Amino acid sequence: MIDFELNTQQRMLKEALHDMGKSVIRPQSLGWDREKTIDLGFLRNFYMMSQSLRGENNPMEDFNEGPKNRDPGKPVQTNRTAAMGAEELAWADASIMLSLPGPGLGGPPIRASGTPEQKERFFSIFRDMSDELRWGAYGLTEPGAGSDVAAIRTSCKRDGDAYILNGRKCYITMGGRASWVVIFATVDPALGRAGHRAFVVEKGTPGFFVGKIEEKMGLRANETAELVLEDCRVPAANLLGGEEKYQTKEGFMTAMKTFDNTRPLVAAMACGIGRAAYEYARDFVKDNYVLGRPIPRYSAIAERLARVGRNLEAARILTWKAVWMADHHLPNAKEASMSKALAGQAAIWACIEAIEICGAHGTLSEDHALLEKWFRDIKVYDIFEGTGQIQRIVISKRLLTDLRAF
Amino acid sequence: MISFEPTEDQKLITGTVSDFAKSTLAPRARDFEKAQAVDTAARRAVHELGLSLAAVPEALGGQGLGLITATLINEELAYGDPAAPFGLPGFGAFLIAAQELGSDEQAQALIAPFADPAAHDRFGAVAWSERKPNRARPGFITIAKKVSGGWELTGAKAFVGNADLAESVIVFAQVDEQAGWNGVGAFVVSKANPGLRVAGRHKTLGLECGHFGEIVLEGAKVADTDRLEGRGDFVAACTRFFAKYSLIVAARQVGLARLAFDVSREYCDIRKAFGKPIGHFQDIAFTLADRHMDAESARELVRRGAWTWDAGKEQGKCLLATAQAVAHAHQVAMRCADDAVQLHGGAGFMRDVIVEKLMRDAKQMALCGASAEQMDQLAAAVELGLPLDPALVWPTPETQAVLT
Repeated sequence: MIDFELNTQQRMLKEALHDMGKSVIRPQSLGWDREKTIDLGFLRNFYMMSQSLRGENNPMEDFNEGPKNRDPGKPVQTNRTAAMGAEELAWADASIMLSLPGPGLGGPPIRASGTPEQKERFFSIFRDMSDELRWGAYGLTEPGAGSDVAAIRTSCKRDGDAYILNGRKCYITMGGRASWVVIFATVDPALGRAGHRAFVVEKGTPGFFVGKIEEKMGLRANETAELVLEDCRVPAANLLGGEEKYQTKEGFMTAMKTFDNTRPLVAAMACGIGRAAYEYARDFVKDNYVLGRPIPRYSAIAERLARVGRNLEAARILTWKAVWMADHHLPNAKEASMSKALAGQAAIWACIEAIEICGAHGTLSEDHALLEKWFRDIKVYDIFEGTGQIQRIVISKRLLTDLRAF
Repeated sequence: MISFEPTEDQKLITGTVSDFAKSTLAPRARDFEKAQAVDTAARRAVHELGLSLAAVPEALGGQGLGLITATLINEELAYGDPAAPFGLPGFGAFLIAAQELGSDEQAQALIAPFADPAAHDRFGAVAWSERKPNRARPGFITIAKKVSGGWELTGAKAFVGNADLAESVIVFAQVDEQAGWNGVGAFVVSKANPGLRVAGRHKTLGLECGHFGEIVLEGAKVADTDRLEGRGDFVAACTRFFAKYSLIVAARQVGLARLAFDVSREYCDIRKAFGKPIGHFQDIAFTLADRHMDAESARELVRRGAWTWDAGKEQGKCLLATAQAVAHAHQVAMRCADDAVQLHGGAGFMRDVIVEKLMRDAKQMALCGASAEQMDQLAAAVELGLPLDPALVWPTPETQAVLT
């Protein structure tokens, strides 16, 4: 049945996160942006609180590690619930979702391709973080290879019971503090995708260094790091999925599979930030415009607001569709990319228009600092996890016959 | 629970309508256009499918399947020929106006004739717009004057769908000249009324089989019982009428957008230039990707709009979701049709290919029911908590005039 009602768990999660977002997160958001970090005390409290909420049936664990005893014929709610949570958290603060302790973007490739032993070894550290918060990370992008993933140059060479990795990874979310990072490398760049290997490289491995921590336009509270691998010796047991996994093109597919589940979440976050800006502008108009007077220019402002609102709705509906498909185990690569492409655009536009509607007020980083911050935060949502252009490549390959590359 | 999957019944209905639209409407779209009418055989076939009363509540003589089902049906019909639904009895604005504006008794009486076996030839119409705004005061030029036992209607209405075919017409007129747009009333006028005259048919840009025309009222007398009072709140009822009718039109725009997209995608697959299919050039592929996102998002927003009504959400939520869906669908359909012509190049401009018709139909349809601009004003008014002033949220002739 066509239905757009959240289930009880989703509604409760949304309400709880919204209340906390409003009264706890938003008041700290600007400070975190200035300090360039989310307060660890807050993250710890947030973690402990979410643990107590979760009880026996831990939705985040399901999301990170994949639901246990999953019947592939049976739909789940995990992705839909995660999308609700992601939107609401991003509404409160754009960086928070990317900074939460846990495997982060490193989770999906391990979930998709790791051996049972690897899953246990790398996920178990997140099951109880009451002593210390821990993060995972995902290292694909290099100075010379962004959208063109096949062009990565970080090398890996087998040496006895280990691989020797050399290269540089950049723009790695939480890369500086991660307990481990899924690093993509190549045995031979001439082999293209077939030469790719994914490794889990653990913090403290000799030859594995954190380089520069980036200064960014927005999302400043979220750590973005450069990682350096210099003759870094990684045990063969950390080759994701084991050697036999790479007899086919799986290696590259590992990198890409990550995105079918995470793109709609990024889209959901973008919707949350866009919605924050939209609501801000709407409330600004209510409070600051003299709406009782029939001023002709108002209809132009009303139209702007309405357009922003409906473009966000269009993005949200595609996001929901993508997660609904994921929950039903339907292939959703196209829909995932559609949600990300549309949401990135709609939310950027929402932030731009919101400032326009608020006039000069909107640009002040004192009184209306959140609006100015969201404008800086949102831009990267059309860039990371595949730029808008890359999403359109993914989409068009699924629309046109025999289109393999441009 | 969030779900995008229609029920089994809805799938069955959609499948049947889709087959019918592809086999019966699509091949004859150009014939309907030339004849400026959907022919009797096709109308009879649609009537036999028994779909025109799908969304009408059972209590009023319909099938009570809800607005979601109605949007599914209209989307599929339009995928065959977007213009055809405008020439089908029971698919116009009339039934929705009867439901929203009439009492149960009035609605039953107005809807009943559309259920009988001969109803493939039975049309109703809604006479809303006027050629010119009233410069002397807000409100319609057409007036309804209280006379003993009833009302006397005088004026002229324009852009009326099926004006020349309708057996009865719901006419909007000014009942209180001092009250502006709050002083409007609606009346059922029979074709047999000596005071009603069909003045002529409009030549339109698209939707040729829609029979859009003018109606002149020359002291047409109607009884008190012919006045539709909107179940106590006429302004709210009329706002609901335009929202629901516009949502049905938006579902047709979705069908049109999907059709324009599918035709274009197919063409970009087979048409070669510079040694490869044109779809293999990035600019063209990206255009297709954008239009696909457009059509898919409009489709789901229209269903979400319909869901708010079916689920009995509070009025503000229903109006907001509907306004967003309608405005988005109108703009999406226009973009899809425009790009369909563009991607076909010179061939797209020729009448041999359907896309030029889709482009004309899309623009015409964007002015049936409330326009995107009017819907944006409605959405903003709901969001800003402003009173729903009819001068602002109705498609009055003082702004963009619309077809009904």
